[in-house]
Amino acid sequence: MLKHLYYRDRGTFLQSLHPAAILSYLAALLLLPLFLTHPLYLVSILLAGLLAAFTAEAAAGWCAYLTVGLWPALLLLLMNPLLSSNGHTVLFLLPPLPFIGGRTITLEALCYGAVMGMRFLAIITAFALYNTQVHPDRVTGLLSRFAWKSALLVSLATRMIPTLTRELSAAREVQQLRGVDFGTGNLRQRLQKYGWLLELLLVSSLEGSLQTAEAMQARAFGSGPRSSYLRNPVRLRDYLCSCSALAALFLSIYARVRGYADFTFYPQLGRLVDGVSGWFFYSAVMLSILLPLIIGWGWQRWPYLRSKI
Amino acid sequence: MALLEIEDLTYYYPERSEPSLEQINIQVSEGELLLVTGGSGSGKSTLARLLAGLIPEFYGGKIWGSYRLAGAELKGWRRRARHSAVGIVFQDPERQLVMTSVEGEIAFGLENLGLPRREMFRRAAEVMTFLNLLPLRDQFTTHLSGGEKQKLALASVIAMHPRILILDEPTSQLDPVAAADIFNLVESLNREMGYTIILIEQRLERCYHLADRLIIMEGGRIICDAAPGEAARWQLRKGLPFIPPVARFFASLSSGADSPVPLTVREGRRELQRTAPASPAPPDHLPLSTVSRSSTQKKEPLIRASGLWYTYPEGTEAMKGLSLELPPGELITILGPNASGKSTLLKLLAGIIKPQRGKILLQGQDTRGLAPSQMGRYLGYLSQNPNDYLTRDTVEEELKFTLDNFGLSDNGVCAEMMKRLALEPLRGLNPRDLSSGERQRVALASVLVTEPPLLLLDEPTRGLDYRLKRELGRFLGEIVAAGGTVVLVTHDLEFAVDYGERVVLLFDGTVVSEGPREILRESIFYAPQMARLFRGRAGNVLTVEEGLSTINGGRAYGGRSG
Amino acid sequence: MADGAADRWIKMGAAVLCTAGLLAAAHWQLPFLLQHWAVFTASLLLAALVLFFIRFERSAISAREVGVIAILAALAAVSRIPFAALPGFQPTTFIAIVSGYVFGGQAGFMVGAVGALGSNFFLGQGPWTPFQMLFWGLAGASAGALGRYFPGMSRAAMAVFNTLWGFLFGWLMNLFFVVFFIKPLNWSSFLLAYGASFPFDCFHAFGNLLLYLLLGCRIIKVLRRFRLKMNYTGG
Repeated sequence: MLKHLYYRDRGTFLQSLHPAAILSYLAALLLLPLFLTHPLYLVSILLAGLLAAFTAEAAAGWCAYLTVGLWPALLLLLMNPLLSSNGHTVLFLLPPLPFIGGRTITLEALCYGAVMGMRFLAIITAFALYNTQVHPDRVTGLLSRFAWKSALLVSLATRMIPTLTRELSAAREVQQLRGVDFGTGNLRQRLQKYGWLLELLLVSSLEGSLQTAEAMQARAFGSGPRSSYLRNPVRLRDYLCSCSALAALFLSIYARVRGYADFTFYPQLGRLVDGVSGWFFYSAVMLSILLPLIIGWGWQRWPYLRSKI
Repeated sequence: MALLEIEDLTYYYPERSEPSLEQINIQVSEGELLLVTGGSGSGKSTLARLLAGLIPEFYGGKIWGSYRLAGAELKGWRRRARHSAVGIVFQDPERQLVMTSVEGEIAFGLENLGLPRREMFRRAAEVMTFLNLLPLRDQFTTHLSGGEKQKLALASVIAMHPRILILDEPTSQLDPVAAADIFNLVESLNREMGYTIILIEQRLERCYHLADRLIIMEGGRIICDAAPGEAARWQLRKGLPFIPPVARFFASLSSGADSPVPLTVREGRRELQRTAPASPAPPDHLPLSTVSRSSTQKKEPLIRASGLWYTYPEGTEAMKGLSLELPPGELITILGPNASGKSTLLKLLAGIIKPQRGKILLQGQDTRGLAPSQMGRYLGYLSQNPNDYLTRDTVEEELKFTLDNFGLSDNGVCAEMMKRLALEPLRGLNPRDLSSGERQRVALASVLVTEPPLLLLDEPTRGLDYRLKRELGRFLGEIVAAGGTVVLVTHDLEFAVDYGERVVLLFDGTVVSEGPREILRESIFYAPQMARLFRGRAGNVLTVEEGLSTINGGRAYGGRSG
Repeated sequence: MADGAADRWIKMGAAVLCTAGLLAAAHWQLPFLLQHWAVFTASLLLAALVLFFIRFERSAISAREVGVIAILAALAAVSRIPFAALPGFQPTTFIAIVSGYVFGGQAGFMVGAVGALGSNFFLGQGPWTPFQMLFWGLAGASAGALGRYFPGMSRAAMAVFNTLWGFLFGWLMNLFFVVFFIKPLNWSSFLLAYGASFPFDCFHAFGNLLLYLLLGCRIIKVLRRFRLKMNYTGG
């Protein structure tokens, strides 16, 4: 725990992208479910995210996130119909419950809850992808261009975390052998023992921080205007992916503003898709979302395509 | 003209009334390799900071005298120019890296210098190629080994194209293989790349012969500035310890002569061949297994470990069916390369981790069922970092704390322990304000107050100077003399040979050799310098004294500290 | 560290947040407002986060300060490791608060924020990351303001402050969940969501309180001593 980065290098297509390209794609996967409430869009985006996760060998990571996200998602699914009596289609009546009283459960509220749960899962999926596909370094690298102090701070702190974790467990072992049993005692006593460790770690790491500062100073830190070392080759695939991500964003914003991607839940569920333009926007958005995955699939399959993009 | 000139320089740290550097005069010419040595607190690290331009800029304080670099007073240099002209690598690999990736680390200094991007790419590429860091380029710096971290620190300084490279005890935290690697690099940087290098070191075996000149410091002053051979003779007269074994051996053989002192094993073997062409050794190929068996059978073993297997949660298999019996009343050193399972074995013996297969009997008691917090009655454990012990406000409380944890009463044992470890004058002080050697003694005292029959130490000599090592060796000797058993894991071969009686060599999670310390003579890598000097000759030589008595037929000799 | 300027920004941020809150309360239509202002609230919070980082970017900062803030942030991150005996107890808030109290608002903010970000590189980033960054950061920043205006705070007052942040952190973290996902947002659903997390918040707050009482003064002393040492060794 806190020893190894969450990210692992697996040589996938998404990992090979320029950080700006992958970030814009993930931003699309994150933002679309945030401002769309249309169930069809949400399901499709969730499925696209899942497809991306599974083709990028991030299935395990996604499952780990699911165990965290499933409970809130279920909660949302159940909470909404329990709390909201809007909607005309009454499914059944609940007997009076403590705190919330008797409730009518409506189809509309249930659907709305399900959609909210889906939105949550879609967001979780975007983050699961982020964690498995984007190396922290590449983001801090990108950040260092316009916020180098913050980037340096993040980098230094991140670098120190595994070191401190190791030191913490070493100190813990030492104290155990001196007869400190961390597992016994009441809350106060346990906290006290923990506090000793924390203090010990604090003192030695503060001393260490001066050495780090000295090493930075000796390498001309703060000696004048700084330049930035960024070595991220930009390839054709980066343009393709960021363009399709931007297209997805703009198309869906436009559709939302013009009402093509709206869905009415209350008082009664509306029609899923309205007419030709509704279908047009839906397929355009989905195509832009899926394009990077299609390219990635080709990249994996044909060395020729790989060399060209 | 000298590249670097220091004249009559005196320096006081802020809030100090004693000077940390006094009347320093040094001249270093282009392409020279200067070796600086001295005990802890002699001012050599302060000198390193001064040379690197960190004093007074970073530390403040008062300074007199002049420091000229390439003919110009350093004060007048712009910071940027100064830091790219003089680069410094520090001792602790853990604390001097700032970035998460290897390439980013190399770039850090270049970015600070504000170099254009093309120039940065070129330098980073060159330095990574030269130091063979390309395979590690995208690695997370935290996961590099200590040796790789030091190499990276060196690379990131070299990338800044310094004219002078300062190395402040770069190998004090490394194992011998990694240290040799760094010294090889230093040698090629100096010999082939023409770098001017100032190397500050305490481990002299592998770098003494590389130096053009040796500077010895004491109490903030330079007490010797001479060529290594000459310095060896001078030190021998003064009774100073900064001489590696081979040089010490030859310097004491011919203390008055003008002939050059051999500094390496190769030169030494030639010299021996010339002066004392002894008859080839009677082959004493005593099978090692019989050596070990005959001596262990005498006493009932204190520790009996059989068939130990241990795999770490992340999947590294560190112990592979290791079996070991250790007799009581001896000082046993465990040697072995990195990742051979030394630390794992020590942790298993200490009961911090439990073997997944096999068992450990300590005085006949199976330790598998004991919680780590119960092990303290049976053994004392000293980790690499004495700071891990310091949780109380005074030295005395620190000792009492252990007793309280075990519900023992203080029948004068604290006082006695403080006396034995010379901690009495410090009893009321905060242990965190003490020096590193004192902290280690406090840590040692705090585990010994329960009077355990077994003491385990993990790399106890790391970062200690010769004097502290000698004190530690003497103290451990006392424990053994009083019937205790000491097991220590170390990379410090000379310490193992000087104070150890029994040696266990580990490799890949098993014991490859075990027996009295004489078995080291047969080893290739773990043979001490003197054994390599005398290989193939008669006698049982591991230390300088033994060498001298072999050559001189036991003539009395007083130079060796021990 | 540019305390005055940092505090000005904190004040500004606080003012904006308060106005938004008052506006909502004034309308007495909190559910309605929040429904439409979900995105607004989120952007407001993210903007506050970005402002703090811009502030940090603009300040002159020495190598020592970078070193100290980074190591304290790393410590705040490491303290998130569940300690065998105390499940679910994370003293990150406590560390951000004492750091801010001693080293000033800006340092406190960066300790909390970078600690959250850094630890999530190992534990996994999620939608919670920016909110953790902001709220742990705010805990540090507010402690900085406290240390500036009331440097001689009594132990009891600091203990109350710590306890408050224990609750506040949980409540603020709930806010983003509630705002985005609970649609018929009325008082009963609001209270239900908060009630569900109340035991956890209590535990967090109580842990914070105990930790401060047991350790606060000692740690503040250690940090103050270090700050002194840091200042007089030049730089």
